[in-house]
Amino acid sequence: MRVMLFILILVGFSLAQLKVVATYPWIGELVKEIGKDKVKIHIIAKGTDDPHFVVPKPSHIAKMRDANLLIIQGASIEIGFLPPLLQQSNNPRIQPGREGFLDLSQFVELIEKPQRVSREMGDVHPEGNPHYNLDPHNIPILARAVAERMCQLDSPNCSYYRANLEDFLGRWNAKLKEWDREFSKLRGTKVISYHKLYDYFLSRYGIVLVGTLEPLPGIPPTAKHIENLTAQAQGVKFILQDVYHEKRTAEYLAKRLNAKVLILPHDVGAMPEAKDLFSLFDEILRRFSQ
Amino acid sequence: MKKAMLLLSIFSLSFAQENLEELKRQLEEQRRLIRELEKKIEALEKAQKPEAKQEDKKEEKPIPADRTLQLRSKYEERLKAFQISPFRQTAFLPDISLIVDTSFVGRNKKDKELGELKIPGLYHKHEHDKHGHGALNEKRGFNLNYAELFFYAPVDPYFDLYATIPFSEHGAEVEEAYAVTRGLPGGFQLKVGKFRSSFGRLNSQHPHAWDFATQPLVYKVFFGDDGLTEKGIQINWLAPTPFYLLLGAEVLQGENEQSFGTDGFKIGTVEVSETRKPNLYVGFVKTSFDVGNLSILTGLSYGTGHSRIYHKHEGEEHAFAGKTKLYGFDLTARYNLDSIRYISFQGEYIYKDSKGTGFEHDGSTLNTEEVKKKQGGFYSQLVFKFDKRWRAGIQYNLINKNYVKKDGVKEDLPKNLPAYYAMLEFSPTEFSRIRLQAGQNRAFYEGGRRKTVNEVILQFNFAIGAHGAHPF
Repeated sequence: MRVMLFILILVGFSLAQLKVVATYPWIGELVKEIGKDKVKIHIIAKGTDDPHFVVPKPSHIAKMRDANLLIIQGASIEIGFLPPLLQQSNNPRIQPGREGFLDLSQFVELIEKPQRVSREMGDVHPEGNPHYNLDPHNIPILARAVAERMCQLDSPNCSYYRANLEDFLGRWNAKLKEWDREFSKLRGTKVISYHKLYDYFLSRYGIVLVGTLEPLPGIPPTAKHIENLTAQAQGVKFILQDVYHEKRTAEYLAKRLNAKVLILPHDVGAMPEAKDLFSLFDEILRRFSQ
Repeated sequence: MKKAMLLLSIFSLSFAQENLEELKRQLEEQRRLIRELEKKIEALEKAQKPEAKQEDKKEEKPIPADRTLQLRSKYEERLKAFQISPFRQTAFLPDISLIVDTSFVGRNKKDKELGELKIPGLYHKHEHDKHGHGALNEKRGFNLNYAELFFYAPVDPYFDLYATIPFSEHGAEVEEAYAVTRGLPGGFQLKVGKFRSSFGRLNSQHPHAWDFATQPLVYKVFFGDDGLTEKGIQINWLAPTPFYLLLGAEVLQGENEQSFGTDGFKIGTVEVSETRKPNLYVGFVKTSFDVGNLSILTGLSYGTGHSRIYHKHEGEEHAFAGKTKLYGFDLTARYNLDSIRYISFQGEYIYKDSKGTGFEHDGSTLNTEEVKKKQGGFYSQLVFKFDKRWRAGIQYNLINKNYVKKDGVKEDLPKNLPAYYAMLEFSPTEFSRIRLQAGQNRAFYEGGRRKTVNEVILQFNFAIGAHGAHPF
């Protein structure tokens, strides 16, 4: 009897919480900021993962089965691992088109949308560059979108979510001023990146991307491409390197160009210092100004 | 009358007064609304500013040279002509992909010799239609294993539809065509049509998702070249547990040529009737959990059905009618070094238990006998993805139980039937793969003597169209 009661209480408690599955840690952070203790969050990718290649572990399916809300980054970035998980989740609530499915790429303007797509161009996304989470000015819009959807799904706690949102936005906007001021000092700086991973951040602050180490998106660097890049990359100050690709090429080129390799976090958890959304951008700033 | 007039005027006056009050109130309300709207617009303008700023910044970026610009403007002229057709349905085009698999094979046995080899008590080659993928890497030299069309789209809010149609040089086959429910409550899902059964681990995967160029030996002897692919229905239930736990049941037609079969036959003077239809029942349970970076996926499977196997070869006939049970255990342990690199162990044990009557007819005399078979074997493999583009792996196959009793007399059959393979593969992208596989198969016999088959396979696999998902 006591056990039954305990189970009932447990079930009741788990029902009270909104269950959210997010594909990437930064989305999870938004949900945590807005939902705090009223949500239970499961994040599929790790911060150190290449966002294009996340392991579709069956254990995620178990978490998606009971979710009330699935939030994705969209723009085809999850295409390699999410569709089979979603199909096997046996959960009608979070299928695309339902209220429990939220694609955040719908709320921002994507850049670098190709005029035509063909796989000869490498791993291009027809929707545009999917790494929009690295523009800090996109975060408030996305936070609002997340809060609104959580309100729809869990109206009794709506005012709680809205209050948390306002609190978050207050702190974020204060930080934005600081970041804008500091990052603007980098305007006009020439950089090279491994993949077109930081483009939203770069275009926000007028940092000039001269080229990428990858000859085409998703294709590893070749000697010939690096040779060509060296020829046209005079005055490049930084080579921006993510945490999950090999670093030899960046180091080699940095030596040739007399530039500096900057390993930058692309998501929360990519490195220990980037433990939430605030410290993610703080860490990027710290690494630029080092 | 006067009184009435007075009353009316007073009434109307008070009414007017009231109206005036009402109007004032409304005006006040309107003003408040306008103020509110103004505030909202202001807020919106504020919110939009960052976006506007972003636009400005974008223009500062160097515009990449676009070689196709001129071409495109030409294109767009032509596109206009298409837009005249107002009932175009292209937006509803399903996801389509085409997967082409071709290989070069070097083997120490001539094709005809290989065709005549048998695995005693378990397998011998017989002609069947060549429309689907059938046997892979069948001939020495160049092979076109298949060109496989894949379709997917939601049917409506209630069903998803999948179809896989492999083409060979000789024709096409509907390998899979099934619908899956999208919205059943309570963690249930229903699958109906023709599909690869969820028995075991590898069976539900298409050959292009396999880690090796060849089918494991246990699959070849118990399921045949196409695996357990059947018409039927599947219901599965994902349990509401914190770890992955899937239970499923299938009712299948049961036409598999190696273990089941439904059609009756006539051999000599004996006529064996067809089986119940549907003929095959399958149940499975799968579970998965993570221990740090190690992911475990394991399952148990069971299948039971009647068997009707009949072959005719150069005037000789032989057949089997009875009941067959299949048991399967599978285990996958994948250790993820990071999001790209991993080491994965995968193994499956399959056990087959058959009982029934065997028939042999050499044109004049019919010989019937009571047959009991208990056979089992496994494959186990280790695959190491050590780079974004490179994988290497080894596979060990063994049939270690081959117990056949005919009319109470145990047959003297070999029960140590191994095959080993090693592979190295290079995948320039997710859409192309070049695999070199070398191996030795020591399961084949001819006239009571073991015939070792050595082979080298260079396999090319290409996919165009919709992006397939990476298998776990």
